[in-house]
Amino acid sequence: MLKKIYDKFLNLGILPKLIISYLILSVIPLIIIGYIATENLTDTGFQAARRAEEMGKENLKAAEDIGKTSIADSVQALDRKAKEAIELRTVELAARIADFLYERDREILILASFNPDPERYLNVYRTTKKDVIVTDPREAGKSRRSAVKLQTRNPENKEWRNFPPLDFHKVSKPIYKEITFIDLQGREKIKIADGRISNNLTDVSRKENTYCRAEDYFPYLANLKKGEIYVSRVIGAYVRGWLYKTREGIRVKRESAYAGKENPYGKKFEGIIRWVTPIYDEKGKKTGYVTMALDHTHVMEYTDHVFPTEERFTVLSDGGSGNYAFIWDVNDQCVAHARDFFICGFDPQTGKEVPGWLSQETYDDYKKSGMTLEKFVQKLPSFRNFTLKKSGSIEQMKAGEISLDCRVLDTAPQCQGWHEGTENGGSGSFLLLWSGLWKLTTYAAIPYYTGPYGNSKRGFGYVTIGANVDDFHKDANITKAKIEKSILEQGKEIVHANSKTRQLISERALYNRHLILIISLLAGFCIIGMSVVISFNLTGPLRRLTESAVSMSKGDFDQSIDVKSKDEIGQLAKSFNEMAKAISEIDRMKSEFVTIASHELRTPIQAMMLGVSGILEGYSGEIDEEVREDLALAKVGIERLLHLVENLLDLSRIEAQKVELNLSRTPVAEIIDRAMAEVSDLALAHGHTIVKNVPADIPDIPVDKDRMVQVMINLLSNSIKYSPDGGKIIVKTAKEGNETIFTVADNGYGVPEWAKEEVFKKFFQADSLMSHKVGGSGLGLTITKGFVEKHGGTIRCESPVPEEYYPDFPLGGERKGAIFIICLPLTDVGNV
Amino acid sequence: MAIKKILVVDDDKPISSYLIRKFTKLGYTVYVAEDGEEAVQQAFSNLPDIILLDVKLPRLSGIEVCKRLKADDKTKDIPILMLSAKAQSFEINEGLEAGADKYLCKPMSFPAILDEIRAYDKQ
Repeated sequence: MLKKIYDKFLNLGILPKLIISYLILSVIPLIIIGYIATENLTDTGFQAARRAEEMGKENLKAAEDIGKTSIADSVQALDRKAKEAIELRTVELAARIADFLYERDREILILASFNPDPERYLNVYRTTKKDVIVTDPREAGKSRRSAVKLQTRNPENKEWRNFPPLDFHKVSKPIYKEITFIDLQGREKIKIADGRISNNLTDVSRKENTYCRAEDYFPYLANLKKGEIYVSRVIGAYVRGWLYKTREGIRVKRESAYAGKENPYGKKFEGIIRWVTPIYDEKGKKTGYVTMALDHTHVMEYTDHVFPTEERFTVLSDGGSGNYAFIWDVNDQCVAHARDFFICGFDPQTGKEVPGWLSQETYDDYKKSGMTLEKFVQKLPSFRNFTLKKSGSIEQMKAGEISLDCRVLDTAPQCQGWHEGTENGGSGSFLLLWSGLWKLTTYAAIPYYTGPYGNSKRGFGYVTIGANVDDFHKDANITKAKIEKSILEQGKEIVHANSKTRQLISERALYNRHLILIISLLAGFCIIGMSVVISFNLTGPLRRLTESAVSMSKGDFDQSIDVKSKDEIGQLAKSFNEMAKAISEIDRMKSEFVTIASHELRTPIQAMMLGVSGILEGYSGEIDEEVREDLALAKVGIERLLHLVENLLDLSRIEAQKVELNLSRTPVAEIIDRAMAEVSDLALAHGHTIVKNVPADIPDIPVDKDRMVQVMINLLSNSIKYSPDGGKIIVKTAKEGNETIFTVADNGYGVPEWAKEEVFKKFFQADSLMSHKVGGSGLGLTITKGFVEKHGGTIRCESPVPEEYYPDFPLGGERKGAIFIICLPLTDVGNV
Repeated sequence: MAIKKILVVDDDKPISSYLIRKFTKLGYTVYVAEDGEEAVQQAFSNLPDIILLDVKLPRLSGIEVCKRLKADDKTKDIPILMLSAKAQSFEINEGLEAGADKYLCKPMSFPAILDEIRAYDKQ
């Protein structure tokens, strides 16, 4: 394969060789180098871009991690701070409630130090008032002053914050609903109610005569000593409420109790807490008891407007938001809530307590128990199986009786948390997943330990505040969102920048590839151009040398090549020119010599010829027979000498390519006849028969008649000379395609295989083939071949003669036979 | 017209002397010239019936001689037989173009030459 390619390469001319070599040596490496360079560059570029992208992404990831960590940290910090703040607020709220309650202790003790006096009691009733925020939306906004946030005038006071004072619409409300004096039997002696001295005096030892028919304080009074105070639980009529679910969340029905924002027009829970302390006369005898029924609104007021967010306070609390404060009494019953229907109360008709809301599960147990709900709830163990997995009983919801009694509210594990956390009178917080939101819930025991409240460290009970965790780490969430947004944007930017970089690299690489392609193409063109120039410089003179050499080989020795370069080619051309000049000179000298020699030889031959021929023909007088015979011998010698001279002249013309043909349309038969006539004497002398076979329809041929006759004479003479006497010679012509074929066949000595080509060479010693000397110039066949070839034909020799070709031939022994075949083109006669 | 006067022009003494002897013996008046100039003078002064003219001659070549003679009215009708050792075809053509009536190549036998002359004798 390679060898084939190499051989093909060797056969190419110099120009393709040069171009291929230069292309292989220059352009291909250039393209390869260019390709590698571009690829590497592109690859490196892409790698760099990839690295940059990775680094960017890592940076982003780091930023994200740092962001997450810092957000987590700040969330934690914010949570802790918020938690602490809310915890503190809870504790302080509890303390303030306790203080408020303790004030009532002082007030009743002061009142107990006086003799019972309706006017005094009325006076106390009227003067003891406290502001209450108006919650009716129709009234709430009425007196609102424009609250303007202040700005600092000193720029050194950084991070200035200012909250205008609350300017909610408030009304002053008596602290007590009722102030009474009752005797030791429970009969009311003095009664201040509804802002006046009441005449509707009853016996409060009987429950049905008490507030909501639910007060049972009288039995506890007998044991009160001087200065000892009985404080009741919160007593009020239960206000029903109904919750229903919507797609947006839980809503409160309009007919329900007041529920802040959720139901601002509902009926509010109205409860009392009764303070009782004995009164002694001057003799130290217990005469009765002074009682004060604290309007529970004032207690609720402490928590009803708490909003544990940036807003801090609100007119209408929002039970649905979870951000509100509420109060539980020492028995874990709800006494203040954003939703008043959650506050535990009594049926004012029966004075019986409305049982707390149970889970459906527990409620189902109740239904199986056969007990009344009140009885069942009373007997229900506290804080058993409290879990968020439970849901409130539907029946209670439908009845609208869903007061919250922590002890049995087994759907709310936080109740247990508060209960447990306040056992030591302390405070704290915990997290709870409530309605799908993480809520912080704080608790703080209300440190009020008067009367029955002194029995536990929980005191009056406890305040709890619920807060949405998300709300108080809102800032952190905003930061988180900002960081995430920034990371997302940066990520996008990095991706964008990177894709731009990649695009740039791709464009650059494409540009480079184009550049290299163009350079390669240019280089290729330059190389091809250079190759062409070099090749023309090289091959041009060589071609001219070749052409000149070809011309010289055809006999035109007058050649000169115009080469100006001084390189090897120039020297070659110069040498060639010198050689051509020398050859031309030699040729000229040779021709001249031949001409001169021929001329100079002919002149003495003429002299001899004149003399001998004159004598033989009798122009010099009578000669005897012997002289005639001797002179005839001399004449033969003169004729052979002349023949030799003529042959030499022909040969020199053939060799010098100086043969000029005198072409004319000649009948083939004429050539054969003339030649046969010329040799007939010689043939006769040797006893040969010459048979002619020329078809009548053979076309005339455009030849030099004399030369063709001479050719045929030469062949016939050869056959005559190189055949044993009495031989047969057949002359045949035929038209085969575009050629006219002449054959001269004999049954002579033949030509050995090795001599078939040799016989056509000049001075071939034909005698070496023969057993006897025939004699000849050795030029006949050479001249014959020269003339035939000058006509554009060929001549060859075949021997021995195949018998099947010439059945008429007597062959065998010495008679091997030989055939000389001439092929002449019919139309084209070659170099005329 | 009968051929009586033959001008033989040849610088080769053996040939010219042989021809003079034989033509004289046969009854012809023979003039001889050994160079071209002499040949032209002889032709003009003697006005021979035929000229046997060699080509290679001293002073003036046979071709020139032929041209001059053929160019002059006095001599243009004299048949000129060129007899030359120059036997190449271009040489023959040159002779014929110069106006020779016949170009004979040496060597020719005496009877052959005589035949050529007698050929004009009959005309």
